Amino acid sequence: MSKIDDVKANVEKGKTKIVPGLVQEALDEGGNPVEILDAMVSAMGVVGDKFSTNEIFVPEMLMAAKAMAKGVEIIKPLLAGEGGSSLGTCVIGTVQGDLHDIGKNLVAMMIESAGFTMVDLGVDVSIEKFIDAVKTNENVKLVACSGLLTTTMPALKETVKTLKESGLPGFKVLVGGAPVTAQFAEEIGADGYAADAGSAAIKAKELIAAA
Amino acid sequence: MLTKKQNLLETIKGGRPDRFVNQYEFMELTVFIPGFKYPLAPGQTVKDDWGITFDFPEGQIGAFPLHDDKHKVIKDITQWREQVKAPRLDFKDEEWGPVIEQAGKVNREEQFLAACQMPGIFEMTHHLMGMEDALMALYEEPEEMHGLIALLKDQELRRAELIIERLHPDALFHHDDWGGQASTFLSPNMYADFFLEPYKEIYKFWKDNGIELIVHHSDSYAATYVPLMIEMGIDIWQGTMTTNDIPKLIEAYGKQITFMGGLDSGVIDFPEWTPEICAEHVEKACRSFGKHYFIPCLTQGLPFSSFPGVYDEVSRQIDIMSKKMF
Repeated sequence: MSKIDDVKANVEKGKTKIVPGLVQEALDEGGNPVEILDAMVSAMGVVGDKFSTNEIFVPEMLMAAKAMAKGVEIIKPLLAGEGGSSLGTCVIGTVQGDLHDIGKNLVAMMIESAGFTMVDLGVDVSIEKFIDAVKTNENVKLVACSGLLTTTMPALKETVKTLKESGLPGFKVLVGGAPVTAQFAEEIGADGYAADAGSAAIKAKELIAAA
Repeated sequence: MLTKKQNLLETIKGGRPDRFVNQYEFMELTVFIPGFKYPLAPGQTVKDDWGITFDFPEGQIGAFPLHDDKHKVIKDITQWREQVKAPRLDFKDEEWGPVIEQAGKVNREEQFLAACQMPGIFEMTHHLMGMEDALMALYEEPEEMHGLIALLKDQELRRAELIIERLHPDALFHHDDWGGQASTFLSPNMYADFFLEPYKEIYKFWKDNGIELIVHHSDSYAATYVPLMIEMGIDIWQGTMTTNDIPKLIEAYGKQITFMGGLDSGVIDFPEWTPEICAEHVEKACRSFGKHYFIPCLTQGLPFSSFPGVYDEVSRQIDIMSKKMF
């Protein structure tokens, strides 16, 4: 197994303590930082798939994301100008009236692991805040909004509608949350729907590729 | 006609109930046991005896623990012994007064008197430090987490002893949410590793001290935990969402545990609710899940709804289904 494969395997396993050392060893052996990053992104893709099929659970996903973050810290100074640039900025938040943050945080983690720069607006986010974030952040390619409660589905609908009618260019809207379905996402005009954090990262990349 | 208590027992034992058990009717819940501190209305913020701050913002349907750096009780799991202080339980007679009075009014022939324990041990771990810290600590500092869980369990046992002495309940209603709509938070193995033995000890203590019925609330998917629930001593799992494939669970485990739920609050209890929506869901649940080992009930963890009228309408519809099916 190459050192880069070793990094990938240990990110998948969430080995937070050994991943930084393995990344450093991979670099010391002449490994390309971009390839190492790609291996970690790929590992998180596997983690996302396993989460979607209940092979792993929330703690394992959190540990994998933490392991990757620690690996990224090592290579980050080396990535500038080497093609390690972001897929774009993703603005994320739960819609107004909804304070649930666990699912949203997992989605943010997975989308970040897929290569986006995250702007996390937190919970109970007003439509105005979403719009402001699109206006004031650079290279916003994606807005991800969620609602866990049936009661906040109208707010989700209104948020998507306002974002789509804002006239602001260059971004897609991804929605999710326990009561949200693909059909509802389509009805309210969202560009994409994801059922969980793993599929959110895949959908995020698909939406950007199709743009 | 059977009493509510008899009808419950016939239902959970696979006997001859004469109607559906109607939601929480079989038990009187004693929520306001001394030490229970939780915001009950929008606009309230309450700090409980562990130091956990709960905020119930305007416009919301429930309270949330605050976990910013200022409010987290456990800031570093390796330092939890210095940061967590189990609260006092030496409540005075006058603090027990109202709940003893409530208990005294219950007709024990008709209903179980249920002591309430909320939150549960898993919930306490993440209330104290936030969900992400708590879940990662299970991997990063497992011994510390076992130690913290042991403290929480011991505190529950001390509290149980006092409640039994003061109220002499027949049942326990124990809250601990173990998952979301589609999955549990932890794998069954990890869950068993950390929480099975503490819960076995807790529920055994209650049963050894005269409690006939253990009702556990988790309004979530938790089908994969059902064998563990049975091992713990749970008699009724309240909050069973329809994502759990309830008919399959009843077939596999009904003789050992009863499933109380089947009416997902999220799709019934919302601002635009109608009696027709309640009727549709109640009929579907009653016909699909049957008369034994199932109690039709909103999945919410107390006998009320978030939006006025829903709980009562669901109860009315269950009575209608009882007339049709019994």
